[in-house]
Amino acid sequence: MRWRWFHQWGSPRWFYERAGRWQLVFGWVSLGLIAVGTIWGLGFAPVDYQQGNSYRIIYLHVPVAFLAQAMYAAMAVSALVLLVWKMKIADIAMQSIAVIGFTFTALALGSGAVWGKPTWGTYWVWDARLTSMLILAFLYLALIGLRASIRDPDQAGKVCGILVLVGVVNLPIIKYSVEWWNTLHQPASLKLTEKPTMPASMWIPLLVNILGYYIVAAYLVLGSMRAILVERERRSSWVKELVDRV
Amino acid sequence: MSIEKRIIARELWLAAARPGDIVKPIWFLLLVISMVPLALTPDSELLAEIGSAMIWIATLLALLLNSEHFFQSDFSDGVLEQWLFFDRPLAWLVGLKLTAHWLLHVLPLILISPVIALTLSVPGDVSIALFITMLVATPALTCFSGLGAALTLGSSRSGILGVLVMMPLFVPVVVLASGVLIRAMDGSETLPLLALLGAFSVASAVLVPIAVSLAIRVNIGGSN
Repeated sequence: MRWRWFHQWGSPRWFYERAGRWQLVFGWVSLGLIAVGTIWGLGFAPVDYQQGNSYRIIYLHVPVAFLAQAMYAAMAVSALVLLVWKMKIADIAMQSIAVIGFTFTALALGSGAVWGKPTWGTYWVWDARLTSMLILAFLYLALIGLRASIRDPDQAGKVCGILVLVGVVNLPIIKYSVEWWNTLHQPASLKLTEKPTMPASMWIPLLVNILGYYIVAAYLVLGSMRAILVERERRSSWVKELVDRV
Repeated sequence: MSIEKRIIARELWLAAARPGDIVKPIWFLLLVISMVPLALTPDSELLAEIGSAMIWIATLLALLLNSEHFFQSDFSDGVLEQWLFFDRPLAWLVGLKLTAHWLLHVLPLILISPVIALTLSVPGDVSIALFITMLVATPALTCFSGLGAALTLGSSRSGILGVLVMMPLFVPVVVLASGVLIRAMDGSETLPLLALLGAFSVASAVLVPIAVSLAIRVNIGGSN
């Protein structure tokens, strides 16, 4: 009985239906949270004494930067599940997360560049955190490109899983080596272990937004997984039933 | 003759049959390096400053150039499939092949680097540091480019993809190597960084062949 929960995940139809329901919940919750966090952050949070109003881009930049890295961790867990338990849904998760993770990384780089202009006077500097974010973007791209080049989806999934795991061992080394190489970025403004360096009226909306972006990421991943699932299972009877109903 | 000896001997025979494969990366390296003064400036002071980094980047590219089809012919003529039936771990055989590749295709690039450093008027002690850095760092790079080649074995049009996939993983090696070169230019202690670089190389030499053998297994299984 203990394994029933586990095996259900192997059933594409079960996953498709269940994920559809979760998606609805996640969609509305994230919409609410991001609306509250963004309006609060942009309209009502106090002005920063040093950076003026330009600091308000953190309400976009920090959540997407968090997610850019969290997505890689989620992908690594999926890769492990795929390679150890050969669960196909984990492969679909990996495929979805690679694209969405790349999008978040690109957004983090883009919003960082826009923020860098008023703060540092330049769009881009070869600073440690920017550089390791750029390398992360290249790693995501590598996964997307590798998968696109292999025709058989099962084989592509396993090969990508190996690359994800090699990457997850290397990412901390890359991060520390780049940090050692050069650092000029301001220290992280939110740390789990320390009290935030900004007042509560600034960081509470930020926290709301971070939570909202995490949930919107789950919403996007589930949506993309469902689409890939239907496409891969297009010859199975449950998908045909689904199409007939529509 | 043991399996190990036979694999090494086969690699040597194959290399002897195609000497062009050994010459081409060196040729490429020399061409890229001769573009540097042409594109930048013939000013020897500036060249001395950036020369070692330029040689390092050009060597990296040359190394990637000849690892693109690293496993391809062994894969398509079935040699890799035979390896699965030997009473040796696949990772160990992969390690042997990578070692042979390093000796035949990477070592010549390292050996020629002091001569190239001379043409860019890199100071003597920096050029020695560059030589040692390359000796210590290239095993890791060879392993990773082998992994790139193994991952893209099943690709229909692999081309440059293996290179693109592996380049981001080169970052720690490049950063540490540039650290050694900068310190050599200042005249300060380079040994700690070389030790770190060596540790990275040893760890890669032990762990990456395992990932390579996994990738080969997946690709052989998938082609059936």
